[in-house]
Amino acid sequence: MIVRFWGTRGSLPVALTAQTIRHKIANALVAANGRHFADAEEAENFVENHLEFPAGATYGGATACVEIEAGNGSFVICDMGSGLREFGLDALRRCAAGHERTYNFFQSHLHWDHIMGFPFFAPAFDPDARIVIHAGHAEAEQALRRQQEEISFPVPFDWLRANFEFVQMEPGVEIAAGGLRVETMTQHHSHGSYGYRFTDEAGRTIIFSTDSEHKIDKMKAEAAFVHFFRDADLVICDTMYSLADSVSMKEDWGHSSNIVAVDLCHEAAAKRLVLFHHEPTYEDDDISRMHQESIRYEALTRGDSALEVLCAYDGLEIHL
Amino acid sequence: MDCSCDTTSGAVIVTAHGKVDEATWEAFERHLGDGIQRAVQAKLPMLVINLAYLEYMSSRGLRVLTIAKRQADASGVAITLAAPNEVMREILAISRYDKLFPITETVEAAS
Repeated sequence: MIVRFWGTRGSLPVALTAQTIRHKIANALVAANGRHFADAEEAENFVENHLEFPAGATYGGATACVEIEAGNGSFVICDMGSGLREFGLDALRRCAAGHERTYNFFQSHLHWDHIMGFPFFAPAFDPDARIVIHAGHAEAEQALRRQQEEISFPVPFDWLRANFEFVQMEPGVEIAAGGLRVETMTQHHSHGSYGYRFTDEAGRTIIFSTDSEHKIDKMKAEAAFVHFFRDADLVICDTMYSLADSVSMKEDWGHSSNIVAVDLCHEAAAKRLVLFHHEPTYEDDDISRMHQESIRYEALTRGDSALEVLCAYDGLEIHL
Repeated sequence: MDCSCDTTSGAVIVTAHGKVDEATWEAFERHLGDGIQRAVQAKLPMLVINLAYLEYMSSRGLRVLTIAKRQADASGVAITLAAPNEVMREILAISRYDKLFPITETVEAAS
């Protein structure tokens, strides 16, 4: 199983500014300390091996879009944030090389940051493409059509040539799709959201749980999440806010924290956690700090087995 | 986890030993609730939570602190965290809970 992150931000896409890039380059040159590089490859090796991630790269700015490659031939994608555009272009390249043209989407919910990439999803214009949109919400088709009405977008949904199917999933009822067994559960978010549990034929399990607030007055309900996350190989979790923010000024904003995600994964005996749905106001250094703190918190509160804590960035690929 | 509760002339002091995690957070919540009630009955303005002897506090325990603060605020009782050991100091910083509560180096300084 391979997981590819095409968009890892929440709320709004962001982009690096010229000033930010200048700062990164200047700091990298200082770190190189006069070193000579024979070619670009040597310079890239230096960046890869001698610079911290935020210094030599970026977590990116596209909103939520995660691909799961399960090896049965179809595409499996969680959410249609702005990262879907790049995925779509890559998918066209793979289809030109013979990949099956079936796309199984699984929507956590229908808020704008999780559907905004769809109008730019090039395979939707392919008359030989089959696009199956699974959602816990009954209004998935309505939400996609509405964002392509003329007042908002110049290309209406009806101009798309692909073959569409909309499947409403029921919590607790497992289905088969894309070579995976898939189950959904309800989460707390404005107008509701849904987490997904994907299991392949070998029993490897990936959890996609974003835009899920764990309310302070519903901590007993977290047992359901521990069960849903149980023994997962990879858990992708909304870790947008600090715990303090999530219980104070950002209470009821529908998101969770790195601390809660680590605790749930510990209880569930999950193997790896990926921090996801990054706050758009966070710069690369802020996300990196949050990642390091999460690693430290995991070590301080670890029980019988260690949980590996990763941090999602646009372009991250994880092999299970 | 074990909790003890003491009273001084200025505060009720709850001291927790062990871990506050998924197994013990509800008991911790009850102990803090009892401490708030004791402060109200004794007309004391402060509940001090002594963090010196905790192995760690998970997100459930931290959120119990917030629940206790809301109860305490409604009852006219202030809450101070006191004497965090090195692990608790880190957890409070990582969670940013050090921005939500006053923290003193010693129990005496809080009470």
